[in-house]
Amino acid sequence: MKPTRPRILPMKTLLAASLALAVGSAAAQTATEADLGRRLDELAAELAKVKDQLAQLRQAQPPVAPVAAPAPAPAAAPTATAPAAPPPSYSGSLLGPGTVLTSYGEINYNRPTRASQNTQIDMRRFVLGYQHRFDERTKVVTELEVEHAVSSADDPGEVEVEQAYIERQITPVWAARAGLFLMPVGLLNENHEPTAFYGVERNFVETAIIPSTWREGGFQLVGAFDNGVTVQGGVSTSFDLNKWDATSSEGRESPLGSIHQELAQAKGHDLAVFGAVNWRGVPGLLVGGSLFTGQATQAQAVDKARITLWDVHARWTPGRWDVAALYTRGTISNTAALNAALIGNPTLIPKSFDGYYVQAAYKVWSHEDYALSPFVRWEQFNTAKSYADLGPGLTPEAARAERVVTVGANLQVSQGIVLKADYQRFRENADLNRFNLGLGWSF
Amino acid sequence: MRLCWGAFVRVVGLVAAGLLAGCGGGGTSASDASVPDEAPLSVQATLGEQIFNDVSLSASGRQSCASCHDGDHAHAPANALAVQPGGPLLDQQGRRQTPSIDYLAFNTSFHFDADDTPTGGFFWDGRASSLQDQAGQPFVNPFEMANADVADVVARLSRASYAAQFQSVFGADIFSRPDDAMRAVKLALSQYQLEDADFRQFSSKYDEFLRGNVQLSDQEKRGLALFNNPDKGNCIGCHPSNRGADGSFPLFTNFTYDNLGVPRNPAIVRNQDPAYFDLGLCERAELASRSDLCGAFKVPSLRNVAKRQAYFHNGRFTTLKDAITFYVQRDTNPEQWYPLNADGSVNKFDDLPPQYQLNVNTVEVPYNRPLGGVPALSDAEVDDVIAFLQTLSDGYRP
Repeated sequence: MKPTRPRILPMKTLLAASLALAVGSAAAQTATEADLGRRLDELAAELAKVKDQLAQLRQAQPPVAPVAAPAPAPAAAPTATAPAAPPPSYSGSLLGPGTVLTSYGEINYNRPTRASQNTQIDMRRFVLGYQHRFDERTKVVTELEVEHAVSSADDPGEVEVEQAYIERQITPVWAARAGLFLMPVGLLNENHEPTAFYGVERNFVETAIIPSTWREGGFQLVGAFDNGVTVQGGVSTSFDLNKWDATSSEGRESPLGSIHQELAQAKGHDLAVFGAVNWRGVPGLLVGGSLFTGQATQAQAVDKARITLWDVHARWTPGRWDVAALYTRGTISNTAALNAALIGNPTLIPKSFDGYYVQAAYKVWSHEDYALSPFVRWEQFNTAKSYADLGPGLTPEAARAERVVTVGANLQVSQGIVLKADYQRFRENADLNRFNLGLGWSF
Repeated sequence: MRLCWGAFVRVVGLVAAGLLAGCGGGGTSASDASVPDEAPLSVQATLGEQIFNDVSLSASGRQSCASCHDGDHAHAPANALAVQPGGPLLDQQGRRQTPSIDYLAFNTSFHFDADDTPTGGFFWDGRASSLQDQAGQPFVNPFEMANADVADVVARLSRASYAAQFQSVFGADIFSRPDDAMRAVKLALSQYQLEDADFRQFSSKYDEFLRGNVQLSDQEKRGLALFNNPDKGNCIGCHPSNRGADGSFPLFTNFTYDNLGVPRNPAIVRNQDPAYFDLGLCERAELASRSDLCGAFKVPSLRNVAKRQAYFHNGRFTTLKDAITFYVQRDTNPEQWYPLNADGSVNKFDDLPPQYQLNVNTVEVPYNRPLGGVPALSDAEVDDVIAFLQTLSDGYRP
């Protein structure tokens, strides 16, 4: 019997209907409700600040006795204490006055529907972190990650420092960060814990185009204003185009992911500047955008090249709805010169790459801590949208954009624990169609 | 032993650079390969240069290192002989084609890579672990400089015009200690190769192209694209042409080994014996149990390949056209390259015993074409690749 292929048109229709419903629901909000929501946010911030002051007081007190203290109360939200910081996605557990342990993990099951022999179960990542507050205004934030369970010369795993930065609150509005930090780009990069996104796997646009989890070393200022605007900007390390491996497919899978440096003996000749603006002025609504630009040949190639990546994004959570959309585009300059010696190789450096997605989720059921949220996501992305002209017969053809529909559900079992299931259908390479299951946690 | 500090720093730097190149997976130089400085040679290297060119150190009195490693031919033979003559009367034929010794500062000692790929080592079978180790062996090879033993070499050295200088560097009594003297000879030769920029010029048209100083012609570009294309020449599989992540220039070898099934060369006298086979890697005693390596030989650098006049370990081909066409037609038209059996069938891979013929690489492009199929490169495309390979000759002048 000829297999029945899922139809895409109804999927788009469903997505459009979801978005329309969300818009309609939100429009029903009154101005009074919006004000109330904003007030709630302010109260939450004040509460977090009080908790932080309490922690400082405890830290200032001499130890009463060298015995183990009883287990602390449920975790405070450490990052929320700094009004300039973006909203935290996990709360953490108090290790002691001013110190909080954080962690998240993901175990994923992927079953390609056309190649079940490639079914895989993976401890995708296990992350431990801590945040320690040195004083009322200064803290350190760290994350140490193990990917794929076992890391050794003969195993596929990696051990990575994902974040390690100091943040100092300079004024009630402005904070400064220095160290290795996540770049303020898109919706997922700074909030990448499994409980923070829908679907077993992170979306393709924010992995293939925006190389999440994308971090750089540098300095940035973070300003959080009373009107709900958060501004971030600074100077950081950049990419290293010398790492481009034209013989490998890595650059086709994620152009920037294949040349990021992650502060691992990063070349520092070429630095980048970046900025992001996010507005949370209406409860439940986030609208923002970002820009990153910097040279990336690190004075180790004859030709200079600039990498620029920008995005615009929005997320709206009116009532039971959670809808999001994002578009991002990257460019690399002077690729004709860079590719001149690479012609014939399978993966030349693209001139541009981009992607977008729209996503809608709806909380259909909740009971105590349980919450079930089906979702649908439509993505389109192209990691090699265009190439600079290298001459007849030598210029690669632009890649065809991949389009992926993901349909599934997140089941929150408890605060910080999520079970996920979804199906992903690829329009260009149907061999990648797959069914996924996931278990994630975060605190 | 006196040691010039400046020379020491240079040597250590080069050795470290070589090690780093190895750690990085090989295939590129360990620097940005700007044209090497013409710094004066150390005293050891100066002695090495004299030894390198001294014919009196051979039994024949007519052969030096430079006789086979001609500086005008990328330190490879200046003739098209399959193997070079040697021995006391220069009438003994060697076993293998003399390789170029340029760019060997970036080689490593022999080892198996993480995926069990044999890598590094000097000579066609990697039996020497270093430049020093390599430099000493021809002196006592009966088919080359043919000295009876180390003492014989040192006795000749003691009569050389630079013997006093040798003593002043390595000690007045050095000739009374033959083993130490031979170590000093190898050190001097090694340092000469490490310090003299002639052994690593990076001065080809392709290097200038990488530096942005010159453009390749359309044919050279087509050749480069075919060279790199994994579905066409796929030469890049063993001869990397791309710069390294640190900006280093390509060496056009990954220092691994391959079994190409090169046809038997009747120009080698030993091959008149049908029981004789040159098995390459597995002839080494420590690799005797690795029958899967029988027939594998070192992947040479393609830098200066157009200056060569004989190709492959047995010098079977004397033109680049034949060498490259063999690559792409070996499997589609084997009758062009191998003799026929009595029954008219092709005696393919005739330079290997039957039990080792399965070791020949038949899975990678361009060897994976079926009998009678279309070769991976057309005749015109072979010409394009040759045009590109000619850009790899050092000494380019616009």
